[in-house]
Amino acid sequence: MGRRSRTLAAVVAGGLVAGVLGFAGVAPAGAGTTEPPPGTAAASGIDFSAYEGESLTYVYFTDGPDEAATRSLIERFTEETGVEVDLQLVPFADLETTLQAQLSGGDVPDVARVTNWRPISDAIIDMSEYFGADYFEQFLPGFAATGMGPNGELFAVPSDLTMNGPFINVDAFNEAGVDIPTEWTWDDLVAAAKEVQEANDMEFAVAIDKSGHRVSTVLSQFGTVLLGPDGVALDPAKAEAAITTLTDLMAEDAMSADFWLETGSRYAGANEMFLAGAVPVYISGNWQVGQFAENATFEWAAVPNPCAERCGGFPGGKYMVAFSGSDNPELAAGFVEWMNQSANQAELVAGASWLPTRNDLIEQGIEYPDRSEDMAVFIADVAETPEDTYLSLGSPAFGPSATALVEEIAFVVAGENDPAGAVETLVERMEQALEDVGG
Amino acid sequence: LSNPSPRQRQRRGKLTGRRIAPYLFLIPNMTVFGLFTIWPAINGFRISLYDSNNGRTFEAVGFKNYRRIVDDPRFSDVVRNTLTFVIAYVAVVTILATILAMLLDAQRRGRGPLRAAYFLPVVISPVVVGLVWSWMFTRRTGIVNSVLEDIGLGQPRWLLDKNLAMIVVIAAAVWTHVGFYAMILLAGLKGIPGHLYEAARIDGAGTLQRIRRITLPLLRPTTMVVIVLGTINGFQAFDYVYTLTGGGPVGGTTFIVQYIFERAFQSPIQYGLASAAGVMFFLVVFTATLINYLFGRRKEAI
Repeated sequence: MGRRSRTLAAVVAGGLVAGVLGFAGVAPAGAGTTEPPPGTAAASGIDFSAYEGESLTYVYFTDGPDEAATRSLIERFTEETGVEVDLQLVPFADLETTLQAQLSGGDVPDVARVTNWRPISDAIIDMSEYFGADYFEQFLPGFAATGMGPNGELFAVPSDLTMNGPFINVDAFNEAGVDIPTEWTWDDLVAAAKEVQEANDMEFAVAIDKSGHRVSTVLSQFGTVLLGPDGVALDPAKAEAAITTLTDLMAEDAMSADFWLETGSRYAGANEMFLAGAVPVYISGNWQVGQFAENATFEWAAVPNPCAERCGGFPGGKYMVAFSGSDNPELAAGFVEWMNQSANQAELVAGASWLPTRNDLIEQGIEYPDRSEDMAVFIADVAETPEDTYLSLGSPAFGPSATALVEEIAFVVAGENDPAGAVETLVERMEQALEDVGG
Repeated sequence: LSNPSPRQRQRRGKLTGRRIAPYLFLIPNMTVFGLFTIWPAINGFRISLYDSNNGRTFEAVGFKNYRRIVDDPRFSDVVRNTLTFVIAYVAVVTILATILAMLLDAQRRGRGPLRAAYFLPVVISPVVVGLVWSWMFTRRTGIVNSVLEDIGLGQPRWLLDKNLAMIVVIAAAVWTHVGFYAMILLAGLKGIPGHLYEAARIDGAGTLQRIRRITLPLLRPTTMVVIVLGTINGFQAFDYVYTLTGGGPVGGTTFIVQYIFERAFQSPIQYGLASAAGVMFFLVVFTATLINYLFGRRKEAI
């Protein structure tokens, strides 16, 4: 594209932005973001005294108990630094469009908590400018790598981690006389689940959230992941085996096929099914611990992920990013760094029932106020989880590929395709998704 | 009317004059309409010729987005689903609304409460309508199947079978809107002079004859309004469908607005592709409305 046409495109783009905002239901403001000069580099930490009385906006999505924990940590930040933080809550589904609209409208927030930072990579700060090129060495290596840009930029700070894994209904297991698993294979899981289901006359044996992210756990256990740094990383034979395991369970009514089909392309969580005592084994993740502790009317426990070819679960990572268009980029970066200092992250993850992302915290463990032993099961699985799962999760095409995975499984469940055909279409769709995200 | 006095003539040139004042009254509304409807719509056309995955950077791609949509096998399914839905919905809702309007018109007692009852679904949030209907038709726990099973009819796979799901969606759409269209038709019925019926009765015409020869022909302009509004409404169906079936099972009730929504607001964001689908959608709705209008006018002329 020549310079003139680029300028033309930029001019047109400015106008187009208004249109996009119009149909996004957001009032348009001016256009374009400004590149700020990088702040004064500091080897470690930021001198907050220069910013006393300033304020920061932090765009945040909440999964539940984490909001209070975040607010309380932010309060401490304000006490220590004199910098006010305005926590702007956004529903997760609107997070990306909100940030894009804010950026194109020139109403740039200072900091955000995101799951996918690549669509905004041109607008966020490289933390190495402030905290050195080795800053990310404090964090879980596989996860930290997914926060880095192509030239080693430290864009997205791994701020909290979730780990997928199974929960069991302990009462039902005891009733059936089936041992609580301390390690098990997929075959063990299916056999135990069916035995417990039968003994307790439960509706189903196994449940898993209708989510490509959760099914990625099964894929990983069968030895493959959707994506890698070089594009599609799926091993068709292994993926077929994983998908067949799930669809066979649905075909024999050990898993709910209705659950997979009735909600179309929408996400559906099977947590209510587990809480209602309709299923003894439920594959989800550590974020359920808080609400199960509050709502379950039976004894339950988190148990290790089952192994097939490999063990471990599948991670869900959130990052904190600071925007270069912020009024005080150095302050924004400093806030992100402060929130993820060892003691501060420990306080936050304990209150929020998250898993830590810092190596030192993973090593020493976290003292959770409630259900600490269940959280320990998930932390133990972090060590078991293969590194390629982080690369898959970190791929810019992970979101659409996970959606495609759910939809292709639905075709098999509905009898319109077989697992091999589903894998074939899935690969095609992932290639298209990679092209769409410019990967 | 008397000739305007010189003073009145003078006022015509002022802001309060007849030539300018109407436009002044229109300005506030047209500004909002222009800024938030017309201008974004024009931009929608422009964006459809670009690729953008963030709404900030745009790359001109010509008609690539259109070609991609036309080549997308899912899009042809979506178009087929949409057309099936719109045709069935418009036909059923028009017939039912006409019958309902005539019944309400003939009703002597409790007219007000009855009208309110039929109109009620219109004011319920479509999202709630979708959720309630999805709970009703869930196979294992829905109230519909509980009743059907009790009377020995088994558990139909309402939301698990493409055809049945389409029927449920059409039924939900009809239930939501029939009251609204019935009110429009009721107003049309009130406009038919009573003496025509009287004359027909004297001539010995029966009820069916009166409906066929007087009511339906004279109601045609109103019916056309209902058909045009119903067509537009049908094409725009999204919110209650999304909460009812999520477009499933396996895409069986995915309509064009959901297709656009998913391209624009689900990762990966593809504003260009979504806009191109939006433009095609606009052309289809515009053509359908035009055909309806011309067809209706021709009929009227006859």
